[in-house]
Amino acid sequence: MIDVSNVRAGYGDGADILNGISLHAAGGEIVTILGPNGCGKSTLLKCIAGFLAPRAGTVAIDGEDVGAVPVHRKVRGYGVGFVPQTDNVFATLSVSENIRLGARHLPRAEREGRFDALMRQYPTLAAKQNRKASALSGGERQILSLVRALIAGPKILLLDEPSAGLSPLMMHEVFDAIAGIRDDTGMCIVMVEQNAFEALGIADRAYVLTLGTVAMEGRARDLLADPSMRELYLGGSVAG
Amino acid sequence: MVQFFSDVLIRTVDLALIAVGLSCVYSLIRFPNIALVQYAVAGSFLALLLQGAGLPLPVAGLLACLLVGGLAVLLNVTVFERLLASGSAIAMVGSLAVTMILSAVFLVVFGPDSRRFDLDSHPVIRVLDARLTVHQLTAVGLTAGAVIVLALLLFRTTLGRSMRATATNRVLAAATGIDARLITNTVVFLSGVLAALGGIGLALKGEMNIQLGMDVLLPVFAAAILGGLGNALGAVAGAVIIATAETLVTNVNLGPLVGEPLLFLPASYATAMSFLILVAALLVRPHGLFVNEVKRV
Ligand SMILES: Nc1ncnc2c1ncn2[C@@H]1O[C@H](COP(=O)(O)OP(=O)(O)O)[C@@H](O)[C@H]1O
Ligand SMILES: [Mg+2]
Repeated sequence: MIDVSNVRAGYGDGADILNGISLHAAGGEIVTILGPNGCGKSTLLKCIAGFLAPRAGTVAIDGEDVGAVPVHRKVRGYGVGFVPQTDNVFATLSVSENIRLGARHLPRAEREGRFDALMRQYPTLAAKQNRKASALSGGERQILSLVRALIAGPKILLLDEPSAGLSPLMMHEVFDAIAGIRDDTGMCIVMVEQNAFEALGIADRAYVLTLGTVAMEGRARDLLADPSMRELYLGGSVAG
Repeated sequence: MVQFFSDVLIRTVDLALIAVGLSCVYSLIRFPNIALVQYAVAGSFLALLLQGAGLPLPVAGLLACLLVGGLAVLLNVTVFERLLASGSAIAMVGSLAVTMILSAVFLVVFGPDSRRFDLDSHPVIRVLDARLTVHQLTAVGLTAGAVIVLALLLFRTTLGRSMRATATNRVLAAATGIDARLITNTVVFLSGVLAALGGIGLALKGEMNIQLGMDVLLPVFAAAILGGLGNALGAVAGAVIIATAETLVTNVNLGPLVGEPLLFLPASYATAMSFLILVAALLVRPHGLFVNEVKRV
C-alpha cells in the first residue's frame, strides 16, 4: 500500500535528514518505526503524509507516485489519516467539532452516522464531547486525534508517537485501540514510537532508524528476540 | 445619560467592524495588517463612485464591499504572503508601506476634499432622550447585522469551523484535509468586506475623507488588541471599551472639579485615553482581556 524507496528529504535548504530510506507497509498490518530521538522518524512520517516533498526517491501509495501531492489532498484523494506527534487537537474547538471536522467532506447523514458509531466506541470522548479539546488530558487528546482521523474512514493511518506522555495504563489503552483498528478494518498503520518494546508488542513489522537510514528491519517478533535490539534499548547506549 | 450611551454606541460602530476584520485576519496571517483601515476608505469611496454611476446606495455599497474584499485578496497574494515568508515583523512593516501607498493613491484618485453620499435628508429620530439620525441607526444596524452573520458563520457552519481550526493549528488543519491557503484567503476576503462595510458605515453618518483611515487607525488597533488579536467577537467588546473611554473623556463635564460651570477636554484627548487604556491593559493582560486559556505544550 505504501512504498517508500530511497527517499532523501530535509527542511528548507538544510542538509538531508533522511539519507535514502526505503519502507513498505501493507493493508492490515501495523508497521512501527523506532529509533533514537532526532534520527528522522517524524520527518519520514511527514514525508509520507505530504508535509515534506522528497528531494530524491519516491513515495508511492498503491503504486502511484504521490511525492508531490500536498497533505490536504492526500486526506480525501488517497485516504490518508495523520496524527502528528504534538499539537494534535484543535485546542480552541470542542471535542465534537474536532471530530466532525475530520469528516467535513462527507454528506451530513454519513458524517453523523460515523460520529455516533465512534462515540459508542469511545465513551470517554462521548462524555466530554461539548468540552473544549484544551480541557482534555493527554491520553484523551491522543484518542481524540485518532478519532478525528478515523471518522474520515482512512485506508492508511500515520501515527507519530501516539503513546508520548501517557501513563503506562493509558499507553496500553491507546495501543489496544490501535491494534483493534487494524483487526477490525484492515487499515495500513504506520506508527512511530519511543516505547519500543510495547510498540513491537502490537506491531507486525518494524524498522529501526539511525541517522536517517534504516539500521534494522524485520518482523516485530524477531526484533523483540534480537539481542542487538535489547542492547540498543535496554543496554547503556543512548536511545533517546 | 441616554445621550451618553448613544454616543458610545455610535463610536463603537465607527470602530467595531474594522477591528473585527483586523482581528479575524490576524488569527490566520499572524500579523496585524495596518492596510485594513485603508480598505475602509476604499470601501466608502468606491460606494460613492458607484452611487455616482447611478446605482442605488445599497447595491453600490454591496458591490464596493465585494470589490474591496477582492482587493484584499489580491494584495495578500501578491504582497503580504511573500513578505510573511520573511517574518511577521517584515509583513507588518510592509502593510504600513501599503497603507502609505494607498494614501497617495486615494489623494490622486479621490482628492483631498470631504465628500458625502447622495442622501435625501438626515431625519432625526429621538430614542428616549438621545438624538440619532436615520443614517446613524442604519450604520448601527449594518454593524450589528454583520457581527451576527460573522458569528453564525464562525460557530455554526463547516466553513467557519474550518477557519477556526486553521487559525488554531494550521498543520493539523492540513492533516485534516483543509486547504489552509484557501481558508486564509477566504478570511482575508471577509476582512476586506468587513473593513469596507465599516468605512461605509462611517461615511453614512457624516462625511467621508481620505484621512478617515488614519484617523481610526489607533483606536481600531487598540480595540482589536484589547479584544485579544485573533478573537473576532472580543474585538467588538474592545471597541465598546475604547468608545466608552473616549466618550467619557470628551463628554464629561469637569467644570465642578475646578470650580467652573463648564469644562470639557478637547476631543484630541480621546485618542490619548484609548492609549492609556491599551497600555494599562497590555501590562496586565498582554494577550487581551478575554484570554483565559492556558496554552499547553
Ligand atoms: N521543521 C523542521 N525544520 C528544520 N529541521 C527540523 C524540523 N523538524 C525536525 N528537524 C530536524 O530533523 C531531524 C530529525 O527530526 P525528527 O524527524 O523530528 O526526529 P525524530 O522524530 O526521530 O525524533 C532533527 O535533527 C531535527 O532537528
Ligand atoms: Mg518525532
